Amino acid sequence: MLSRVADSIYWMARYVERAENVARLLLSTQDLLLDAGAEGSDEAQFWRPILAATGDEEAYAALYGKIRGRDVAEFLVLRAENPNSMLNSIRAARENARTVRDQISDEIWECLNGLKLFAESAEAVAMHGSQSAAFYERVLYGSYQFLGIAGSTTPRGDIWQFLRLGTCLERADKVSRLVDTCSGLSVEMPPHPAARPLRWAALLRSCSAWHAFQAHSSRLDPVKIVGYLLLDVTFPRSVACCMREVHLALQALCGEGAPNEMPTPVRHAGRLAADLTYTTVAEVLGRGLHDYIDELQTHLNQIGDSIFEAFVLYADLIPVQGQGGGRDIGAFHSPVDEDIQMQQQQ
Amino acid sequence: MSLFSGYVPGEFFDEVFAAPGVARPHYGALLESVGKLSPAEYGARQRAVDAAFLRQGVTFTVYGDERGTERIYPFDLMPRIIPQREWEVVEAGLIQRITALNLFLNDVYHGQKIITDGVVPEDVVLSASHYRPEFRGIGVPHGIYIHICGTDLVRNGKGEYYVLEDNGRCPSGASYMLENRLAMKRAFPGLLQSLPVRSVDGYGAMLRETLAHLAPRGTIDPVIVILTPGVHNSAYFEHCYLAKQMGVPIVEGRDLIARNDRIFMRTTKGLQQVDVIYRRIDDDFLDPLVFRKGSMLGVAGIVEAYRKGHVALANSIGTGVADDKAVYALVPKMIRYYLDQDPILANVPTYLGAIPEERDFILDNLERLVVKAVNESGGYGMLMGPSATREQREDFAGRIRANPRNYVAQPVLALSRHPVFVDDHFEGRHIDLRPYVLYGDRVRVVPGGLTRVALRKGSLVVNSSQGGGSKDTWVLWEDRGAEAVSWASDAGGRGA
Repeated sequence: MLSRVADSIYWMARYVERAENVARLLLSTQDLLLDAGAEGSDEAQFWRPILAATGDEEAYAALYGKIRGRDVAEFLVLRAENPNSMLNSIRAARENARTVRDQISDEIWECLNGLKLFAESAEAVAMHGSQSAAFYERVLYGSYQFLGIAGSTTPRGDIWQFLRLGTCLERADKVSRLVDTCSGLSVEMPPHPAARPLRWAALLRSCSAWHAFQAHSSRLDPVKIVGYLLLDVTFPRSVACCMREVHLALQALCGEGAPNEMPTPVRHAGRLAADLTYTTVAEVLGRGLHDYIDELQTHLNQIGDSIFEAFVLYADLIPVQGQGGGRDIGAFHSPVDEDIQMQQQQ
Repeated sequence: MSLFSGYVPGEFFDEVFAAPGVARPHYGALLESVGKLSPAEYGARQRAVDAAFLRQGVTFTVYGDERGTERIYPFDLMPRIIPQREWEVVEAGLIQRITALNLFLNDVYHGQKIITDGVVPEDVVLSASHYRPEFRGIGVPHGIYIHICGTDLVRNGKGEYYVLEDNGRCPSGASYMLENRLAMKRAFPGLLQSLPVRSVDGYGAMLRETLAHLAPRGTIDPVIVILTPGVHNSAYFEHCYLAKQMGVPIVEGRDLIARNDRIFMRTTKGLQQVDVIYRRIDDDFLDPLVFRKGSMLGVAGIVEAYRKGHVALANSIGTGVADDKAVYALVPKMIRYYLDQDPILANVPTYLGAIPEERDFILDNLERLVVKAVNESGGYGMLMGPSATREQREDFAGRIRANPRNYVAQPVLALSRHPVFVDDHFEGRHIDLRPYVLYGDRVRVVPGGLTRVALRKGSLVVNSSQGGGSKDTWVLWEDRGAEAVSWASDAGGRGA
């Protein structure tokens, strides 16, 4: 499989997952604000952790200054200047799909093309403007549709493994960041049994974990919620579960190999998966939730980098005579410069 | 109200109606079926097809548009029909023509006998900008230069077929031919079932066989790839589509590297050697070591690998000398010289700026001629004399005087017309036909091809970049009676 194709498929899946997570986060935060009756009063306390978790505080401050719900939503969803906005993610997913159209099923392509046509439509902008939940739901369903179609039309070969890698790594990254939005909160149970820990409930919703968690545990105990989202190996959005998938996908791509000759991505992913399996939530909290997640993020980035080096740069590392280097060889991330566009038009 | 009741064939050759209300026999069954629909029903089917094309991304990129807008290639539902008897003549003419063009290229890049024998003027041929003297004396697989040819045909006021131009470099449009048929199957399933329409489905397999034939000797299961300039090329959809039809990878220049005069692609498991490259990038961009230095699309070393025979290219390098619009005028002479035959398909009379007396004729008759720059395609660099303004004509006259070799002129043809659905009724629009000819172990021609339509009222330019659209093209196996069928033009009309 072409290295560029592998990278494009991996990023196609990552960008879809990224868009899905933004949609759900905004949906659950809107609901939370309604529950908390906080609209207008001190909504910044709800939005600040979100910007902190996505790492966009500075970019946001440069564009808007003061934190206001509507502005944060616009920034995360539609703003062209935000490379990780939902709209840019959908475009990047679709553009990557376009470059590998011959490798993926028509159904996958049509799904992402349709999602992009919707996200750019006047209808979508109007829906977003009126804070319509239906807008986010359309994007969520687009992502579910993508995952369902991909699962039922993609042969279980290398393409499938790169799809899985993209989805699961992005999901692990986003779920860990979402948990981090609550790292400033107390993990004590509220003293009054009727008082409901709204923020923690919203966290579960933003990870699509509300029902699964309810079935797993009868009380909204913050300690259990943290353990569930980070370490539970049965819940498909937990970091531990995602890392198992990533490890399996990398093993399928690289073959088993003797322990001391294992390719770098397999080693990194296997180590993190094992660590998550054998860690207890008490150890996580003992370390400090925010610090633990920080380290987790470092490992996730390391795995992403090693995947790029192993599969995309691989052929490039072979010394070649008379070849000018420095050409971008990976996936689509943002529009390319005009020179190359002009040349491609011949 | 019948769909066709108000239709006026006009003074042109109309593909469907021999006279008002009198349909040509091969259209009888189609009209009987489609004519039953109300304009609203027909319009709904047309819109359903347009929506499907947008959803499927059957689009092309509009150049000069800052946002790089992708548009669907406008498609008119009513198919153009060619009876098998008529098609057989066209097909024979196309085979004759590509055979002569390949013999010509082989000659031009070797002994140049056609020139030394005085059949064609040396200066016209060797001054063609796509002539590549550095390729003289280099053997190419099986001596074939043009493997994929798109020859544009038009019909004049009497319905006679003419060759308008040959596209022997990177002809595009085959994917739209295939997609159009698919759209017709969705829109009119019953109709296609009931009529003996020749299938175009085999194009992907034919193309693959044609390419596999070029593989360097001894390669049993050659690795074939399509080389695209990239996603910003207007034909990117087509490159992907054909790759999918053939089951081969689509690659960009950055995916390939040359080592030891062989071409490899970068894969997740290392380098893999490539045997045959269906390249959809122009010679100029192919290899920065040989042609344009700043090319970011090509592969350094690909030309040397080709020269050494370690990789095959389709089409070969330098085929542009054969589809140069001035050299075009010489094709009938080539056919007589190499094949000792009369051309089956006629050329449009063409005046060459390169020949002084013809240049004078062009300059004296600008308002009656179509002037074309010899190396432009896509409807660019053209002057439609009769409809041009005085300034435009003067501008072209200046350009012709400055660089006469670069221009040819032809009389304005009264291109045939075909009914096209406009809002809620049919109107006549000018059309041409681009059949696809494949030259591998033998010559294969897909029955039909891409019928292109000048959608703007009165326009003669069919190119997608200039407001053109397309139609599905049906070659019908058998003729239904030779007599014209009268097609009632009054309300509720039915074929007699």
